[in-house]
Formats: sequence, structure tokens, C-alpha cells
Amino acid sequence: MTGFITSLGSAAISAYRAAIELWLVYVGTISGIVRGLQRKGARNRGEVWRQLYSIGNRSLLFIVVTLGFIGMVMTYQACLQLGRVTGDYSQVGSQFLRLIVSDFGPTLTGLMLATRVGAGIAAEIGSMKVTEQIDALRMSGVLPIDYLIVPRFVASIVMTLMLSILGGVVMWRAGGLTAEYSFNVNPNTFYDLSFVRFRHVAMFVVKALAYGAAIPVVAGFCGLRARGSSEGVGWATTAAVIGSSFAVIVLDFIISASALFLTGGDL
Amino acid sequence: MTAYIEFKGVTKAFSGKPVLRGMNLAVAKGEVMFIIGTSGVGKSVTIKHLIGLLRIDDGEIWFDGQRIDTLPERAMAPLRKRIGMVFQSSTLFDSMTLAENVALPLRKHQRMSHAAALAEAKQRLAQVQMDDYADRYPAELSDGMRKRAAIARTLALSPEVVLFDEPTTGLDPVSARRVDRLIRELAEKLGVTAIVVSHDPPSIFGVADRVAFLYQGVVHAVATPAELKASPDPVVQQFITGQSSGPMETPGF
Repeated sequence: MTGFITSLGSAAISAYRAAIELWLVYVGTISGIVRGLQRKGARNRGEVWRQLYSIGNRSLLFIVVTLGFIGMVMTYQACLQLGRVTGDYSQVGSQFLRLIVSDFGPTLTGLMLATRVGAGIAAEIGSMKVTEQIDALRMSGVLPIDYLIVPRFVASIVMTLMLSILGGVVMWRAGGLTAEYSFNVNPNTFYDLSFVRFRHVAMFVVKALAYGAAIPVVAGFCGLRARGSSEGVGWATTAAVIGSSFAVIVLDFIISASALFLTGGDL
Repeated sequence: MTAYIEFKGVTKAFSGKPVLRGMNLAVAKGEVMFIIGTSGVGKSVTIKHLIGLLRIDDGEIWFDGQRIDTLPERAMAPLRKRIGMVFQSSTLFDSMTLAENVALPLRKHQRMSHAAALAEAKQRLAQVQMDDYADRYPAELSDGMRKRAAIARTLALSPEVVLFDEPTTGLDPVSARRVDRLIRELAEKLGVTAIVVSHDPPSIFGVADRVAFLYQGVVHAVATPAELKASPDPVVQQFITGQSSGPMETPGF
């Protein structure tokens, strides 16, 4: 019993310390952005462009394919169930678009990026950690967070928003094609924007920005905690995928609940 | 001897396991001090404390009359200009060319422009006969070439002290002896103080002014290479003759 309590306490202390470290990485990232702006020269501009390409362009196909298929499956299932219950497909497209804008577009894009981008960031930074390159950066007068996380943070925010827009459009269009060819839904009925409000668009943007900020911070934090050798990098990568996916889901809940509260339940 | 660098009763533990247990060591200015000992005994840990890459649990570290173990991270930058380190695995940045690698500390510590730092970096690479490879990436080069470039990067800031973490490990004998010669030249021509972590007997007995033998978390013996060879201490003798059996306790074996 004593051993169980000891291990529980030890796990709690470790979790507390990890939370503090994660917070410090986040604060360090924000401070790094401020320092970068104060320098005016934007010496990391090249690295930001490289990360924009790495996070954005290289995720393009992945996002288009996965969100396209998810859009098809969701519309197919929705139409199937509606057909069994009412047979009225008139609101399938408009409600689906409302869901995409208020939630599915950024959240599914965020989850996909958490796996692809989160793993990549953690593996790269983790490898640098275990091969002492992070220490070498510190010796060179470079703050590791400024050099490694800030460019990824900026690029991830921009590209998560861009990819969420693209993913949402692909999802909607793929759903529309499925509805049209599998259930004979009139395209004019499906592509209906009437249910989308400004508040849904605001949620879309807020969620995309929040996920874009969370993924590189969580993944970078996991990479910076890598220990030992290749096994340590593997653990860091796994932790980054789990951690950044979890962050997306938790942020989704917090932002959705906040929006519900702010709009008095009228979403 | 006036101590330029001094470790006083330094202790360090990782996850509750003690590595250094009250270690004392003094290094004079311009001296080439080798730290030897079995794997995992805390040699690299010792030198990393000197530049704040690791923090001691207890004790004191002094450098040039200033206590440095209590300095916060932001106060370490001036110290890292004066004390350079050549890491065990070279640690060149993969995404940069050799010239960019060497230019980075010049840009950050000395606030040089990118172009000026690159020009200076090429000169530094020439000092280790690597200027022909200035535009190559680390992945395209051999271990020995990477090691030389890493030395050039460390020397770019003209440090007063250079810490070498196993500088000859993984090198062919010729490259290893060139690195040895470089360490000796740094001390003799430029007055650089060098602390070298090594397992390599030709380096230890060919380059060192003094050798500190780290054993069970403390400095077990400090002596000149000749004194060490003649030491009657059975633990020292077992280590320098490389015998598998003897009084020495080696963790993991």
C-alpha cells in the first residue's frame, strides 16, 4: 500500500513538473517572438519559410486525402440514417457545413497535423537533444527555444489556419459529391450557406489558431525532454503525438464550451 | 599553484543515483588537464558543470576568481564566450553548412554580420584544414572532418578555456594525433587552458600536463603522466594498464 501511494505521489510530482516545464516552453516561445520582433532584422525568416513549407506544403496531400474521405464517410452515414428515419435530405448540406465551420474543419485538421507535424518536430528536436546539438546551440549563444520552436510556432499557426480552410472546403465538397451521387441530393440544396453565422467562422479561426499554437509547443517540449539515445527519441515522438492530439481535443472542448457560454447556448 | 578553475566539494546525482560525491579539482591557467576514468564515472558531467549545461547539487565551482555555479542561465553567455567546448559527437548542426556552423557563435556572441561571420568562419576552418569543405553539410563528411570543423567552431570565439569531451574517440590514429597536436599547440602558442576528457592512452601520456583520475565520484589521483605511470596505487595501475581484473569496481560489470 505504501509503495502504491509512493508511486502515485511520484507520478503526481512528475506530472506537475512536466506541466511547469510545458508552461515555461510556451512562455519562452512567446518571449522569443517578442525578442524576434524587437530585433527587427528577423534573422530567423529563412527558418520560418522552411517550416512553412515543411508543415504546410508537405501536409497538403495528407490533409486533402484524409479530410476528403472523412467528409465522404460522414455525409454517407448522415444520409443513410436520415433515409431510414425521415428521408428528408434538405438540411444535410447546410448542417454539415455548419459543423465543418464550427468544429470539424479545424479540429480534424488539427488532429491530423498533431500526428504528422507533432511527430516530426519531436523527432527532430529529440535527435538534436540526445546528440548534444541543443547544448551546442546554448554554447553558441543561441536560445534553443528561439531557434527551434519559435519558427515552427509561427509556421504552424499560419499553416494550420490555411490547411483548416482547405480541409474544410475539401470535406464539404467531398460530402456534396457523395450526397449527390449516392443519395441523389440536389447540389443546390446541399451547398447551402444559410446556417453559417459569424460566430461559427470566429470559432473556426480561434480553433485553428489555438491548435496551430499548441502542436509545436507540446511537440517541442516532448523533444526537449528526450533522454538517452534513439529509444528516448522514440518515446519523445510517441509522447508528442499523444500530447498534441490530446491538446487539440481539450482545446476543442474548452473553446466550444466557452463559445456556448458566450452565446448563451445559441450556437 | 594558483587555481584558475576550481571544483570544491562538487556533488551531482541523476534520479537519486550519485555520480559526483564531493569532487575537488584545481586547474592552473594555461594547463592541459586530462580527466580520465571508467565510462559513466562522471567525466563529461564534470566539465558540463563548468559552462552551466548541468547544475551541481552541492559544492562550488570557481573560474578566474568568480563563483560560477550560482550564475543564472542568462548570465552564462559571457562565460560561454570565454569557455568553449568540443562535444563528443561533434554536434554540428545538420541544416547548416560547415561555414554557417562556425559562423553561428560569431553572429550570436560577437554580433557580427552574417557576411562577416561567414568570412571569419572560413578563416577558422582553414586553421584546421577544412576550408575546402566550407560549403558542405556535416552529413557529407567523415567523423574526423566533422570533429575538426567542430573544433574550428569552438575556437572561433578565441576562448580562454577549451573543454574537449573525448576528442579522439572514433578517429583514426593519424587524425587523433593531429587533434592531440592541436590541443598542445593551443596551450603552448595561445596560452589556452584545456580540460580534456579522454580514454585514449597516447593522448593522455603524450599531451597532458597533469591527469586527474576520477573514481567513485571523487578525484582519486592527480599527477603528471609520468607520476601516474609510476603510481603504486593498484586502482590507478589497473586503469592505465587496462586489466579486466583487479581492485577496481566498475559499475555494470
